[in-house]
Amino acid sequence: MLDLFGIAVRGLLHRKKRSWLTIVGILIGITAVVALVSLGESMQRAVKRSFEELGYDVVMILPGELGGGFGGPGSFSTPFEIDVDALSTVEGVGEIGLLNFQSVYVKAGGKEGFLDALGVSGNIFSFFKVEMVEGRGFTEGERGAAILGREVATELGIGAGGTVLIEDRPFAVVGVYSADSRLDEDAIIIPLADLQELTGTRAVTMVLVRVAPGYDVSETAKRIEDFLRRSRGRRDLSVQTMEEVHEVVQRALGILGAFLGGIAGIALLVGGIGVMNTMYTAVLERTREIGVMKAVGARNSQIALIFLLESGLMGLAGGILGTGIGSSLNFIAVFAAKRALGTGVLEYGISWWLVLGALGFSFLVGAVAGLLPARAAARLDPVEALRYE
Amino acid sequence: MTDDHIVKLEAVWKVYRMGRRRRIEVEALRGVDLGVARGEFLAVTGPSGSGKSTLLHLMGCLDRPTKGRVLFEGEDVSALRATALARIRNRRVGFVFQSFNLSPTLSALGNVELPMIFAGVPRRERLRRARELLARVGLTERERHLPAELSGGEQQRVAIARALANSPDLLLADEPTGNLDSETGRGVLSLLSGSNADGVTVVVVTHDPEVAGIAHRVLRIRDGRIVEDTDA
Ligand SMILES: Nc1ncnc2c1ncn2[C@@H]1O[C@H](COP(=O)(O)OP(=O)(O)OP(=O)(O)O)[C@@H](O)[C@H]1O
Ligand SMILES: [Mg+2]
Repeated sequence: MLDLFGIAVRGLLHRKKRSWLTIVGILIGITAVVALVSLGESMQRAVKRSFEELGYDVVMILPGELGGGFGGPGSFSTPFEIDVDALSTVEGVGEIGLLNFQSVYVKAGGKEGFLDALGVSGNIFSFFKVEMVEGRGFTEGERGAAILGREVATELGIGAGGTVLIEDRPFAVVGVYSADSRLDEDAIIIPLADLQELTGTRAVTMVLVRVAPGYDVSETAKRIEDFLRRSRGRRDLSVQTMEEVHEVVQRALGILGAFLGGIAGIALLVGGIGVMNTMYTAVLERTREIGVMKAVGARNSQIALIFLLESGLMGLAGGILGTGIGSSLNFIAVFAAKRALGTGVLEYGISWWLVLGALGFSFLVGAVAGLLPARAAARLDPVEALRYE
Repeated sequence: MTDDHIVKLEAVWKVYRMGRRRRIEVEALRGVDLGVARGEFLAVTGPSGSGKSTLLHLMGCLDRPTKGRVLFEGEDVSALRATALARIRNRRVGFVFQSFNLSPTLSALGNVELPMIFAGVPRRERLRRARELLARVGLTERERHLPAELSGGEQQRVAIARALANSPDLLLADEPTGNLDSETGRGVLSLLSGSNADGVTVVVVTHDPEVAGIAHRVLRIRDGRIVEDTDA
């Protein structure tokens, strides 16, 4: 077997150019599969991280059904009003964090324009951390303060200690944050009460509830749901535990990854057909040699194995290179995403099962593509093969 | 075994079918009876297309007869499966062809190793044996060379070394000197008669009177029949 392997390798090296071209066909397919699947993994990893940060004892109240709302401030839908005091009396409800997301008109440093503003209750930073590059977060009940995204701060030339005018009201800049998975750097954070006052509404776009210690998360979520339905008389809000949300998001990303991987698989299929074509040509070209090998006593199974190894090796070579290139592409994508979108959107890493799977699969594609040519080689009549010109 | 024939043909016919729907029949051998004695040096001559190569292929278990029986060491070849025939070709028979037929991707050494690879001989033993054989045909210096880097005579010597790799009982050569000048051909012939002296049965198809001269027995065939069978 090992020696037949050697014969196969010689065969491949003998027609270098064609072997390489065939390998490139597989390489492209595997590169696409690995790049896309690992990109999906990177998304999943980043999502998992942000859920872990938020904690699984947190329950979200969002307008409408899940799926239409999560992913970042920009994707929040219709704001809604909610009776926080009444909500806090529901059994198992601990801390309540509130978020509202609005567009506001900002003036500072001689510039002016619309910016995305995130109104937050004072305790929001206990639900998720915001990376501060300068200054501090809000204190409980603080008003008239603002935290700028780094991009905004740079653009306006203002840091902690400065002042910005939001809707013509002065806000003291207390800090500057850097981007993470939930927040872009081009937004501004102010106390919820201020934002509500500026926009003249009591609405919020999301409520975060931390389940009090000792209470079951999903049971508490159920009680909140019941409470909301009773007190509002309709089901306009949905209540999601982090676990549920995480599951839905992971499933969506999984489907996305599989879909992309499937499309990439078509490229791999084309590569496989390339291998088959090359192998048929090789069998034809080497008909006489096959006849000679049979004359010196090669069994049909040994002939078949030589050709299977050749095609499998081309597949594997494409797989190794493709996996390398594909995971490098993923690395570049993660790097670029961090630069463009901020940290936490993607997180680099490549799972061993993807690597092993890609290598095994590429060998398999090669071998399967070589199956028919190898059978054709094995079945050649030795006398006819020897007469072949 | 009762008789001392290494291979025996009894009323052997070989009919090739070709053309569209394989309707055209070519009778390459028409009722050949022949016994090749162990240790014999047999030359087969005859005009082109008379069936010499076909006869050789049948003796070497590369093919089965259409009619009649081929007995290799007493065993009916038609009754054996492809794997069993491959095994006989591998261990008991050595082939040498007019056009050398070396594997272009393998070195001289690799070509000599080839039958031993198929036989599953361990690498170390294989290399030792292959080097020994290359030394015997005077090509020790050329073991790393590819066939394309060897002269015709050198290639044919490699082919003979390959044919002897698994110490066959029967060496079959189909016009081994046909593509060589007479000087080089003589070298190849002496290798064949050397093997015969070592006890290997040799059958050579040839047009060359010189080859026929050193044979124990000369067979003439024409139109698929033996027309002359003379002992030297
Ligand atoms: N595989 C085959 N298919 C069809 N016809 C064949 C096949 N092999 C041989 N023949 C025919 O059988 C006849 C005998 O062929 P064979 O090769 O045995 O002749 P030969 O004596 O070796 O000739 P040469 O001296 O030219 O090599 C020829 O007419 C040849 O065309
Ligand atoms: Mg012939």
